[in-house]
Amino acid sequence: MTADPNAATQAFPPPPRRRDSPARYLVPALVAAAVAVGLGVYGKVHDPAGTAFNLAGFSSTGAVKSWLATTAFFFALVQVVSAFMVYGKLPGPTWSGTLHRWSGRIAFLVAVPVAVHCLYAFGYQTYSTRVMWHSLLGCLFFGAFSAKMLLLRSERLPGWLLPLVGGLVFTGLTLLWLTSALWFFRTFGVST
Amino acid sequence: MKRPGPLLTLLAGLVLGLFMLTLNVTSGTKTASSSYSEASQSPSPSPKKSAPASPTPTVTPSPTPSKSAVPNASYAGRTDDDTASVAVTIRDGKAVAYFCDGRYKEAWLRGPVADDGTMKLTAPNGAVLDGKLQQGKKIRGTVKDEGRKYAFTADKAVKPSGLWRATAKVRGAKIDGGWIVLPNGRQTGIVTRDGKVSAAPRIDPETGAVTVDGQQLTAQPVTP
Repeated sequence: MTADPNAATQAFPPPPRRRDSPARYLVPALVAAAVAVGLGVYGKVHDPAGTAFNLAGFSSTGAVKSWLATTAFFFALVQVVSAFMVYGKLPGPTWSGTLHRWSGRIAFLVAVPVAVHCLYAFGYQTYSTRVMWHSLLGCLFFGAFSAKMLLLRSERLPGWLLPLVGGLVFTGLTLLWLTSALWFFRTFGVST
Repeated sequence: MKRPGPLLTLLAGLVLGLFMLTLNVTSGTKTASSSYSEASQSPSPSPKKSAPASPTPTVTPSPTPSKSAVPNASYAGRTDDDTASVAVTIRDGKAVAYFCDGRYKEAWLRGPVADDGTMKLTAPNGAVLDGKLQQGKKIRGTVKDEGRKYAFTADKAVKPSGLWRATAKVRGAKIDGGWIVLPNGRQTGIVTRDGKVSAAPRIDPETGAVTVDGQQLTAQPVTP
């Protein structure tokens, strides 16, 4: 498919570039904003439970979350490398696209339980700089990720857009990891 | 045909997130700190039972698939001579208790809770807590520590009162802090730095945040 089905009906007044329906940028942007704000509001309004599920074999939920987050961060690094391969900036195998898709899925799905625990047990908090940034970035991360996923569904985007949003997602996750898992390992020791 | 993959990924994340959230909410009564809901519903269906009967009726209304006859909850109170605080958290038939005078005496005690609500908890330092849950509302009992016996009453405590603990390493020193927050907001806590005991700074009972030796720590509610 090459033509945007919206372009013909939507041409009044004729947009400068005909295939650029604003919806393809507006929808991801609005969804991203809604996700980020929604998570933040839930975290602020919901009364933090203080504690939640734990996994067998781990000493604390903090340890579980830190290791899940570290797993997510590892796959995020795979994401960056495989993205360079997809764009041909690094030599890569033919399956680098598949690698990129699946490492991203795993990273995202591993990060979800961590976020659920954060929001359920702690909520949106601002009592220290680390915690404030972590809360803020946590909401932004899932917003940016939603935008990235929705943008992928559009074809022929400006070449810089996906790398930019992908880079934002990666930066977000890195900062989240630094403000949580790394802090946990440094404070409590690298424990399971 | 648009690529469905990214959308499926998002949906999978959403479903997983909702699933975990449901898991948390439905198992919420198992956690010590979310005992609000229990406090409001469990004791009511057994009104005016004068005999200190078995606490079984208090379990019936609780929707938790708990295997134990004793409801999950936290209790906190003072010793009769008002020298120390005692807090007990019960979860799935197991209990953890903290006995602390806020100056130099403390003990972490653990053990099972029998179906009739009696418990005998022990600490590594030899302290023993004998207690009985009375109609799911309070625990009466004694703590024997260093040859002395302290009688105590611990009333049902809802978040943020209860039992908190923080462990960390600050500049190479091992820090272990324990706190009891009473329902009236009073705090009793001890911080052990590499085996040396001293009174603990106050924690923020909303978040568990506390600053020990200039280092920001986060105390967590304690569960058995």
